[in-house]
Formats: sequence, C-alpha cells, structure tokens
Amino acid sequence: MHPVDSTTTAEHRVLQLEEALNEAAQINAELQSRDALKTQFLANISHDLRTPLTAIITHAEILRDGILGPLSEKQRDSVASIIGGGRQLLEAVGEILTYARGAANQLTVSPSEFHIAAVVAQVAALNEPLVVKKGLSISVDATPDVPSLVADREQVTHVVSNLLGNAIAFTPSGGRVWVAVTTRSERGTTQVQVEVGDTGIGIAPEHHDLVFREFAQVDPSPSRRHHGTGLGLTIARRLVELNGGRIWLESQLGEGSRFYFTLPVGDPR
Amino acid sequence: MEARPHILIVDDSADVTGALRVLFEETGNDVSVANTIRDAVAVADARTIDVMLLDLTLPDGDGLSVLATMRARATEPRVTAALTGRAEPEIAARCTAAGCRAVLVKPVPIAELLRRVREWTV
Repeated sequence: MHPVDSTTTAEHRVLQLEEALNEAAQINAELQSRDALKTQFLANISHDLRTPLTAIITHAEILRDGILGPLSEKQRDSVASIIGGGRQLLEAVGEILTYARGAANQLTVSPSEFHIAAVVAQVAALNEPLVVKKGLSISVDATPDVPSLVADREQVTHVVSNLLGNAIAFTPSGGRVWVAVTTRSERGTTQVQVEVGDTGIGIAPEHHDLVFREFAQVDPSPSRRHHGTGLGLTIARRLVELNGGRIWLESQLGEGSRFYFTLPVGDPR
Repeated sequence: MEARPHILIVDDSADVTGALRVLFEETGNDVSVANTIRDAVAVADARTIDVMLLDLTLPDGDGLSVLATMRARATEPRVTAALTGRAEPEIAARCTAAGCRAVLVKPVPIAELLRRVREWTV
C-alpha cells in the first residue's frame, strides 16, 4: 500500500473511532440522566407514601391509646393491626428510598466510634417481642474484648436489624436465632465479625448469590409465604461494603442459615 | 404553666396536621395549624407559641427559614422541633444549627411525641 493511502486510512479510522466514542459518551450521559430521574421519582414516591402513612398511623395510635375514648379489646386488636400494617409499609417505603439512593451513589457514610455489642444488644431487645410472639428463642454472644469500630452506626444498625429480622421471619415456631460477635484476622487487618444465625428454612446453595441481588426473592410466586421488597439484603450488602466490610452466608435448604458480615477495626475511609 | 400550652403545627399535609391536631387538642393543648411559612409567621405574630412542630419542606420554601423570620420579629417559639421524613445526619445537623431542640422522624410514636411536648411545656 502507498504510504499516503495508509495514512489516510488510519486517519479515517481514528475519525470513525472518535465518532463512536462521542456517541457512546452521549448514550452514557443520557442513561445517567434517566437513572437520576428514576431515583428522583423513587424518592418522590417514597415521600408521597410516607405522608398519608404518617396520618394513618398517628390516627390509629390515637384510637389505640384511648385518647378519643375507651375501645373494646377487639377494637384495640383491630387498630393494632392497622398500626402494624402501616409500620410494615413504612419500612418497605424506607427500603425503596435507601435502595434508590444507594443506586445513585447518594449514600454517604457518617463514621463514629462505637461498640458493635451495644448495637447488637439494642437490635435484639427491639426484636424480643416478635421473638416471643413467634415462639422462638434468641441468644446474643458478644465477647467483651471485641474492639470498638469506626463506622456509620446507623447503617450498621440497619444491617444487623435486617439480618435478625430475616432470621426471625424465616424460622418456624420452636426454632432458635442467634447473634455472635467475634474478631478475626483478614489479610493482615483485624476485623469484627457478626454472625446472625437461625434454625429456619435455610437457602439452597444455588440461591446464595440470588439473595443479595436486587428485587430477587428465592420464591417469587404471588403465593409466597414471605413478603418484602426483595431489597433488604441488597441494601445490607451495599451498606456493609460502604463501611469497608463484606457479607456472605452459609446455608443448606432445611438446615437454617448463618449470615456473616465483617467490618474493619479503624476508620473505613 | 397556667394556661393551656399553645402548640403550632406547621406541615403542608392536611392529613398530618389533622391527626396531630386531634392528638394535642384531646390532651389539653391549644392547637394552631399552618400549611405555609407565611401562615406560620402570622400565627406567631398573633399569639405566643410554646411549641412549634415544624415540617422542613413547605410550599413557600425551606421550613427552617421560619425560625430566622420569627427570630427577627421576636416571635420565636419557646421550643421548636423539626418533624421530618428523613433521618440523615446532615438534615439533623441543619435543624440543630437553625435552632431546633429536637429532630423527630415522622411518624413519631404518639407516646413519645406527647412525652416530649409535656417536657417542653412544664
């Protein structure tokens, strides 16, 4: 080939590549702006759902507490169900909002120093009534020599709460749930490890990856026994990773589940 | 406090203000409601407010700006608590900096809301 021809061909190719790159950049920008719109939409919807829910729950609590006059036991039970349903819905709305913000990289970490044992004790205490109601037993094992963490306490609380909530939800009456905190060494650093276990229905190994995927339910059928947004573990994984840790599970179908997450001791940033 | 405490609820949702009005009226308080910053300022001009429960997003602007306006007119409530749908630390910090005594995430369990307001009005 003549040298001039080959230069011309090369220049032409470079031009073509530049055009393709520009086009890709434009598509990317458009996708990002659409994604931002979707996130904003989810945030708005979440706000619009919270407002009427606030009114419903407040009115129902006013009735339940007898502020407008005494209720019969049956009436009180009925009103308590309205409050329970409302709070459940509120939690789902909150999850959608957290997911949307996570997907848009709008979740920020506000680190502070705290003891994981205190968080575990607080979450366990909050879940105690549910544990009793379901006929389960719960044990918490947090060794006192576990070093304090520097992480986002609210986010870590959310993760523990999500894992324990799942353990309770997926364990039939008579079963056992537990939380154990230990330290471990990983790649030369000290990590705090939290285990949330149960003797519940378990998860088949082929579904282990699926449970952390957004909107995934191991049983997606409309008749499924366990409801939720399918975002809880996706959010838990994102929050753990944002704080510099990792999350995984060990489980067999019918043999209960053990979820673990680690967080590094020291500042995650 | 000799008279009934005067509580101002500032929120653009009539559903929310309706519920809180019932709660506080039935538990021995005088209640005023404002759906906008302008209305809130007008209520404060007319009568001293003991406790203001303040939503952050109002149709005519940032709810927290009410505090600065009232301060300038010497009508600031004795206690202001922000009522917000979101609990992010940066929002809480903004509320505290603007002069809020507490930041409460909606829906606040009524037992907690009544306990707080009683503390602030004794």
